Amino acid sequence: MAAEKNYYSIDPKGQLTCRKCKVPLVKGKAKFMYLDNGFPVEMPVCPQCGFIYVPEELALGKVLAVEKALEDK
Amino acid sequence: MDFIKERESTHVYHVNRMSKEEMDEMVGRCVHEQPAYCVAACPLKLDTKEMLTLAAAGNFKKALVQYEKITPFPLLLSAGCEAPCENKCKLGSLGDGIAIKEVERAVARYGEKTKKSSVFRMKKRKTAAVFGTDLFLLFLIGEVEKKMYPTTVYCREKDYREYIEDALENWAEHAAFVQADLEEEASRLKRMDLTFVFESALTEDFVREKAEEHDIVCMSGELLSRLYPGKAYDPEVCVIDEEGIVAGPSGSIMEAALAAKRGALTVDRLAQKLSPYSNRGQEGTQETALYTSVEGIDPEPGVPVGKDGYTKEEAVREAGRCIRCHCDECMKSCAYLAEYKKHPGLLGREIYNNTQIIMGDHPMNKPMNSCSLCGQCTVTCPNGFDMSRVCRMARENMVSTDKMPLAPHEFALLDMQFSNTEAFLSRMQPGYDSCKYVYFPGCQAGAIAPKVVEASYLDLTERLEGGVALMLGCCGAISDWAGRVEMTEKHREFLKQEIAKLGNPVIITGCPSCRKQLQELSEQKILGIWEILEEIGLPESARELQRTFAVHDSCGARGDAETQQMVRNILEKLGCEILDTPDSGDRSPCCGYGGLTAYANREMAHKMAEKCLERSDAPYVTYCMACRDRFAREGRESRHLLELLYGLEASETPDISEKRYNRLTLVQRVLKNIWNEERCVKDLGFAVNYTPEAMEMMDDRMILKSDVEQVLAEFHENQEAVQDAETGQLLARSRLGNVTFWVRFDETDDGYLVHRAYSHRMNIIMRAGQ
Repeated sequence: MAAEKNYYSIDPKGQLTCRKCKVPLVKGKAKFMYLDNGFPVEMPVCPQCGFIYVPEELALGKVLAVEKALEDK
Repeated sequence: MDFIKERESTHVYHVNRMSKEEMDEMVGRCVHEQPAYCVAACPLKLDTKEMLTLAAAGNFKKALVQYEKITPFPLLLSAGCEAPCENKCKLGSLGDGIAIKEVERAVARYGEKTKKSSVFRMKKRKTAAVFGTDLFLLFLIGEVEKKMYPTTVYCREKDYREYIEDALENWAEHAAFVQADLEEEASRLKRMDLTFVFESALTEDFVREKAEEHDIVCMSGELLSRLYPGKAYDPEVCVIDEEGIVAGPSGSIMEAALAAKRGALTVDRLAQKLSPYSNRGQEGTQETALYTSVEGIDPEPGVPVGKDGYTKEEAVREAGRCIRCHCDECMKSCAYLAEYKKHPGLLGREIYNNTQIIMGDHPMNKPMNSCSLCGQCTVTCPNGFDMSRVCRMARENMVSTDKMPLAPHEFALLDMQFSNTEAFLSRMQPGYDSCKYVYFPGCQAGAIAPKVVEASYLDLTERLEGGVALMLGCCGAISDWAGRVEMTEKHREFLKQEIAKLGNPVIITGCPSCRKQLQELSEQKILGIWEILEEIGLPESARELQRTFAVHDSCGARGDAETQQMVRNILEKLGCEILDTPDSGDRSPCCGYGGLTAYANREMAHKMAEKCLERSDAPYVTYCMACRDRFAREGRESRHLLELLYGLEASETPDISEKRYNRLTLVQRVLKNIWNEERCVKDLGFAVNYTPEAMEMMDDRMILKSDVEQVLAEFHENQEAVQDAETGQLLARSRLGNVTFWVRFDETDDGYLVHRAYSHRMNIIMRAGQ
């Protein structure tokens, strides 16, 4: 099977730590879901508890733009 | 608090809340596309307005293209045109109308000739023969040539110039047609794709023989009387019925040019062996329903015409005086309609079409959600076009078909829910088992000026007989504006039951929009507090003010002259000087809160408030708390009527969290002060402080303190957060309803210090394979 496409990828580069599990966040597979649509992405994720981090720039940038586009579908 | 369900699928067939017929009727009210007065008056249908526009821009080449659309001989027509358009020129009522005929002459004279189109046009198979010479035939051959009929002209003259001269022979005005023009028109005639048989004898035998060879026969008046004595052509269609011969009048250039147009259409009908009397379309002058206001227009005097007509520069100046008659009455005073630069007929149609799209993009969602539904256009439009109805129906349609995104209105809808749950209060006046009145100040009054609400309620309880209950909540305008019919109905039912519990007292509202909304659920008259105060007199706290104010009439009071007047009366009693501003009363624009514009399109709401404020530099007095707040946010001093009456000031531009806090504390305060009840306040168990940057950011991003507190409460409980190594700050999140909120904070001794907050509507989940 062909590798699943990622729409966006962020590498935490050891900058982020999970407060609960006390381990660094790693690049992990996640999916943005909105109005019947899903977008596979790679986000900083806690390898233990699965906490997914969405940075502010992404939330107010690309995510917002896609939200608006989908809302007008 | 319950969250609102996001739409599920957009694959739903449309439901019409406004039928196509209703929409057509509404679009028909917009006269923007109606022809200008001069255009409607031209029997030849010249787009005079466009020609003048082009001439004013100095583009005589394109202006001539316009003129050539109606005549094959521009110089000839412009010399003999009787210019019925000039009598209809709107500027004529103010002074000199545009000298359209002279501009036409200049266009015909100075316009650069365009080359014939290189597009290959197929010649028609039917041929035409033209016998003799007169003005009608001259114009007719030009018209028939345009229609691509192979045409042969049989005449006695020896060349083109003589043909035109003879055609003009009986025209008394031909002196105006200068020699140079004659040469020009002769060469134009020569360039046409016509076959001229000069110096023909035109005997009866010759004519009959040649006529046999062609499908269509056209004849001069002189030949007609000789060959067919006693036969006359029908002036409406320019044909002799039995013979099928096309002929027409030549009394004047104008008459001949118009008759030639009719004749050319007859040629078409005859060529197709159809009756020349039917299906002719609209010919001649037309009616126009256009409305153009000349208010404030001070036209320059007309450019004098020299002996030989205008020079090019003079024609440009004269055409430049044209005001391009059109109707934009609604756009002049509405920031919304002005923004989209589309007349409401077109904008309304596009919005309506948006609701009919089953799958695919809905590009008009934002425009339909940006209208403030204030109804100003119903007053400013000479035909009462109602954009608010179009947008409201479109919103309701989009909601009912599950195509309306929740994002533009969710915050406002949740705010309404908040007003009717946590911040709701309904109580009889202490000591009463039933009350004659219930005071409903409106959610914005509680959010912006809670002290004023309390003081006005106490005043009413002291001075009105029979008891006054208090109801703090939302009237339902929010969901109504959002097009959520079911939610509005549910809410109205809730309010009805609450009012019934109070014994169905007379409702006194503090806001004209609430009054309008509540009228929907009560058969008895809903009173405004201003009416009560007119009757029982001003409160004791009212002081002589000696101030000057501009009054802003709320859109809720549109069409309610009584309310508008009462407010002014009260202000006069307070000793205020009221400034008369343009667009007040029923023509008043919306502050930007109406129709939830402030939530769906913040920039538009800002423009709307600016539009309101440009009417006067004086401080504004309003009688709707939302208007007062919107103006204050624009940095202008504004006061609500009740603030002036009770000598209390509203919060100055409270942010979204303060507006909620104000409503909550108002309920707590009145419960304690009036009903001696304590409502316990939820204790978080930790302190939350905000940096000024965070506060500003949250107001801008529509993030409430309660949202942030919820995120922090969850973190407090489960410690789920990430730590940023660079700043050491923590980032926690919580999904509240349809939105994920993120908070960036530091831990402090007694709680948290919030630095930043942001949100997104997309939900993020783990993917399989992790």
